[in-house]
Amino acid sequence: MLSPKGAILIFFLTGFLLSIIILVLNYLLSPKSKSLIKRETYECGLETIGPTWVQFKGNYFMYALVFVLFDVETIFLYPWAVRFNVLGLFAFVEMVIFIGILVLGLWYAWKEGALEWK
Amino acid sequence: MSVNINYLLLIPEILVLSLGILLFVLALITPRNLQKGIGYLATLGLLGIFLYMPIAWKYTGMAIEGMYQVDKVAIFFKALSLLAGIFVTAIAPKYMEKIGYYSEFFVFAVFTVLGMMVLVSATDFLTLYLGLELMTITFIILTAYKRESAIGAEAGIKYLILAGVSSAILLYGLSLFYGLTRTLNIVDIAAVVKNNGITPAFVLAMVFVLAGFAFKISAVPFHMWAPDVYQGAPTPVTAFLATGSKAASFAIFFRFFYLAFPGIKEHWVGLLATLAALTMVVGNLVAIPQTNLKRMLAYSSIAQAGYILVGFLATDFAGFKAIMFYLSVYLMATIGAFAVATVYENVTGKEEIRDFAGLSQRSPIMAAVLVVSLLSMAGIPPLAGFAGKFYLFYPIIKNWGWLALLALIMSMVSVYYYLRVVLVVYRDEPEDKTPITLPNSIYFTLLITMAVTIVLGVYPTPLAKIAQQAAMIFMK
Repeated sequence: MLSPKGAILIFFLTGFLLSIIILVLNYLLSPKSKSLIKRETYECGLETIGPTWVQFKGNYFMYALVFVLFDVETIFLYPWAVRFNVLGLFAFVEMVIFIGILVLGLWYAWKEGALEWK
Repeated sequence: MSVNINYLLLIPEILVLSLGILLFVLALITPRNLQKGIGYLATLGLLGIFLYMPIAWKYTGMAIEGMYQVDKVAIFFKALSLLAGIFVTAIAPKYMEKIGYYSEFFVFAVFTVLGMMVLVSATDFLTLYLGLELMTITFIILTAYKRESAIGAEAGIKYLILAGVSSAILLYGLSLFYGLTRTLNIVDIAAVVKNNGITPAFVLAMVFVLAGFAFKISAVPFHMWAPDVYQGAPTPVTAFLATGSKAASFAIFFRFFYLAFPGIKEHWVGLLATLAALTMVVGNLVAIPQTNLKRMLAYSSIAQAGYILVGFLATDFAGFKAIMFYLSVYLMATIGAFAVATVYENVTGKEEIRDFAGLSQRSPIMAAVLVVSLLSMAGIPPLAGFAGKFYLFYPIIKNWGWLALLALIMSMVSVYYYLRVVLVVYRDEPEDKTPITLPNSIYFTLLITMAVTIVLGVYPTPLAKIAQQAAMIFMK
């Protein structure tokens, strides 16, 4: 009979060994080619057009942030909308407060110029 | 399905939230050059809510069924968080004007206070995590405020990553608890333990949670982030981190361990004693060679966390009373010291200890407050730190004699590096003898912290009584 501590030990050992085995197997089994084609930039399976060392504009970061803000809002809105009849007035008021706070966030982003493409 | 919510108990939180939103909207509708008033409005608003706390003291109970407990301990720590917020917003305005994003700072400061208030009331993993993250995420933004300078940016990144790591560790522990006990409620864990006993996995979960909290209170060996973050963050934020964040984290740490694992003390007191001993020794010894005042105060605050952990080992009524008393006293002393550092850095741009030479000739009040604060942290009578340390160490002498002795020795060691600052301030000649003029808000902050530190040292009874009333909930 194995003690609970022994079970944990086996769990850790298996996890540890398994990760090592997988790494080693990967190294041994994977085909290796060192041709130039392998080092080319990959762009959706197509040949690249023009230089690939272009800089992305930092502005995308702002859009991502504002997007996440409203993405999360949607996640919370859906379950609420589905059960709207059951949840009643209390949940409605809570939702209004929630959206109100998010609108303030949008207002701030707008005022700070996060929505303008520079 | 409806949730029972007692709004009467939630009034302080609702007021703080409203204050934060009000400041935010005000900052939106006024042009940037007219926003100076927002800093003072934040201080006054928080002060108003703080003045409500004696009334809130009378109303205790479950605010949200099973998730949010408003007891006297919670109210005590809420008042402490508000106090930290008041002082920080009072010393910040002049300093933040130079850095930029002025009004946002105060909005974040108010929301940080809200996070702390939620955190200290949590009795459920969800509310605990919600409060913790509200506090931590706003702190990440605040520590990264001086992003133009290299050490400022470093502080921000370091706090971001290490706060993330510590949250992950804490969450891992909490999810293990959920898996083992099928409950999110902290109090219910104790019941499950009573019925089923504990498994090694349970101890593992406990260690993870302990590590997560140890990060937040900067206990050795989880203290690595503290010195760099304390040095790189804007000085008012450092003061906030060292007082509010630490007090709130201690509050939830103790509530969690005391409520969830009362029957299995033998599994965690040894760990805690080791942590306390390490924290005191490393904090105090590494503080000695520091040349930067903020860094020295960071190590000293690590050491202070060690003393407070010592108090927790009593795991009884007297210990909790001592912790609450000491955290308040420590808050006053720390705010005093950091307020001086804020003004000095703002006027001269310097923060090395040797730059404080001759401060007594340039501004006697600043020198006096710095000395009183540092000596109170060292525990020299008749200052409040002495009474606090007496309350902390007295209950554990019987069971943990060696730890109490170590704490006393380390307190002696700490006197050395605190007195070194005093020496520089009073003995050395200043390079530049122009007197430093203080803004009113800082002047009041300095006077209040000094007065409280001295008065509580001579006559600690009033605060001790309040702490005692609060700690009653731990009488079983």
